[in-house]
Amino acid sequence: MLRITNLHARVAGKEILKGLSLELKAGEIHAIMGPNGAGKSTLGNVLAGREGYEVTDGEVIFNGKNLLELEPEERACEGVFLAFQYPVEIPGVNNTYFLRAALNAQRKYRGEEILDSVGFLRLVREKLKILNIGDELLHRAVNEGFSGGEKKRNEIFQMAVLEPSLAILDETDSGLDIDALKTVAEGVNRLRSKDRGMIVVTHYQRLLDHIVPDRVHVLADGQLVATGGADLALKLEEQGYAWLEDGGIQTLNTDPVKQTANP
Amino acid sequence: MSRLATQLAADLPGESGSGLQWIRALRDTGARHFRKHGLPTRKDEAWKYTALGVLEQGGLRLATKTEPPSTPSSHSPPLAQAGFNLTMLDGQLLQQSGTPRAGLTVLSLADALSKDINGLQVLLESLPQGNSGDGFSALNTATLDSGVLVHVAAGTDGGRLMINWSTQAREKSLLFNTRVCVILEPDARLELLEQFESPQGNSNTCNIVLQADLGENADLQHIRFQQESEGAGLITRTEVSQQTDSEYAYFGFDLGGGLVRHDLHATLLGSGAKSDLSGAYLLDGKRHVDNHARVDHQAAGGFSEQFFRGVASGSAKAIFNTAVCVHPGADETEARQSNANILLSAKAEINTKPELEIYADEVIASHGATVGQLDEQAVFYLRSRGLNEQEARQLLTTAFCRSVSDRLRDPQLGEVISQRMMDVMPQAE
Repeated sequence: MLRITNLHARVAGKEILKGLSLELKAGEIHAIMGPNGAGKSTLGNVLAGREGYEVTDGEVIFNGKNLLELEPEERACEGVFLAFQYPVEIPGVNNTYFLRAALNAQRKYRGEEILDSVGFLRLVREKLKILNIGDELLHRAVNEGFSGGEKKRNEIFQMAVLEPSLAILDETDSGLDIDALKTVAEGVNRLRSKDRGMIVVTHYQRLLDHIVPDRVHVLADGQLVATGGADLALKLEEQGYAWLEDGGIQTLNTDPVKQTANP
Repeated sequence: MSRLATQLAADLPGESGSGLQWIRALRDTGARHFRKHGLPTRKDEAWKYTALGVLEQGGLRLATKTEPPSTPSSHSPPLAQAGFNLTMLDGQLLQQSGTPRAGLTVLSLADALSKDINGLQVLLESLPQGNSGDGFSALNTATLDSGVLVHVAAGTDGGRLMINWSTQAREKSLLFNTRVCVILEPDARLELLEQFESPQGNSNTCNIVLQADLGENADLQHIRFQQESEGAGLITRTEVSQQTDSEYAYFGFDLGGGLVRHDLHATLLGSGAKSDLSGAYLLDGKRHVDNHARVDHQAAGGFSEQFFRGVASGSAKAIFNTAVCVHPGADETEARQSNANILLSAKAEINTKPELEIYADEVIASHGATVGQLDEQAVFYLRSRGLNEQEARQLLTTAFCRSVSDRLRDPQLGEVISQRMMDVMPQAE
């Protein structure tokens, strides 16, 4: 579904990603962990097409298409969804109105029928039920005045309605207390499907107690330096990221990722 | 005096017209003022950014009393249902429809003047026209005849009164002068909804003065929506005087017009009065919209808010001047001013200036004026969900203006107006 090869990207002239490679199959959840400044959020923003992130080398193939050539909205319409680390507050735009406009823009792109308000509400109710959340967020302006937990829940709700084939969750756990974290994680688990791939970007292991990944990658200084199963996250939790500086990857007993382009 | 002012002065009738002595004297005062000062020029501080050359080039002439046609040429559908509707064509009351609620009286101004309605003389004579920038008001007084009187009896609710304004296109451009007088007795309520829409190809100018007198604890909601054609001029002045505990809420929407100028002025004479002024202006092409809002706090414990949002594109020009004066003795006043603008093209121009003068104690006042661009984070957020760039920007500019229509007490009307704003939302260039 997604193949990232030797990805190099710069932000404000500074190289952040330095040859990242990753392959994700439909139905899989991969976690990307790493210390601050490793390039975790940059990866999500590059994949979603945010301005200011300059790709200098490498390619990203998503369902057979060159993702990096597409506009942000085309990527969304092709099925890419980025759950923001900091969802943007948009006063004056009703959450339901926005989501219906987004869904219909995507349906139009794919040549599907536009949903009228009745059809849309039916879909929304169904998704609320799956996620086991109330409808109180629907009538408010997009993220305006939302608590940290509400903002993240709203991201997951949008994901449920838009049904992307690739979801990138960018530090979805940041700023959440344990209850909010559980709610969000449960939502993500309910949206797991054999047709959907997910990349969960996180600094802490605790999110992965609730969303158990198929693979865990360690991102450091713009490259994936280790890959393993779900247990790798636990080891990281025990040992922290300090071992990275000591070059102690092997002591973790994992299969190191082969780097295609070391500077 | 400008060529235009000279022409209009020459068009003024030589005599003070018919009617009671005080009315003729009032017209005389206006005519004398106009013959002396003419129209405002850019040398008048309040008219610094608005030149009247475009009216002069159009060969504008003063409309003399003509018989209006029996039916209006074409009318836009009303924004909302109202209990009572007035159709104003070429500045004259053409039609009334609906049943006025008990306590609501509507008369043509000519009728009201001949009946010498209680309070009308005081109201008409109270219009300040001291300085040289008041030329349009002076002209309006000099020709005082056409217009409407709205009266709401003490303790009654007049409901919604709709005034539908338009002019009909002719070979020459005419200037229509109209006076609207609104008197709310103590504890009276009214919602006044004004809609200005003239057919395309129109190059007339309306000069309308609206005077409202709010008695103790009276409540006036004033909604003004204008989507005039690009060649049309609209010069309006709204003067509101407020007694103790009265409330005035103004909601203005400028979506059209060629040359538009609105002077909005509330005077809080009684303690505890509240003045809530808000508006949105959305301009593109070569439109020119100049809003001057001013609140004078003359009594203690008053509250005023000015909340205006503007979007300009093309080579449009918007002027927004908001002023608050807290006079001596108007202690414990709270006054807020907020004006934010979005500039969508390099050629468009927005001039905004907040003014605040305080001569009293224990006053809470705040003001802010900004001109900026759309939040690019928000644009990306919307695009990342599938909206294209144009849709994203349109949604955000509409939302920016919605913060005004959302303030309307009737959410349904707010929805209609926000849809109309969306339909004409200027695009970035």
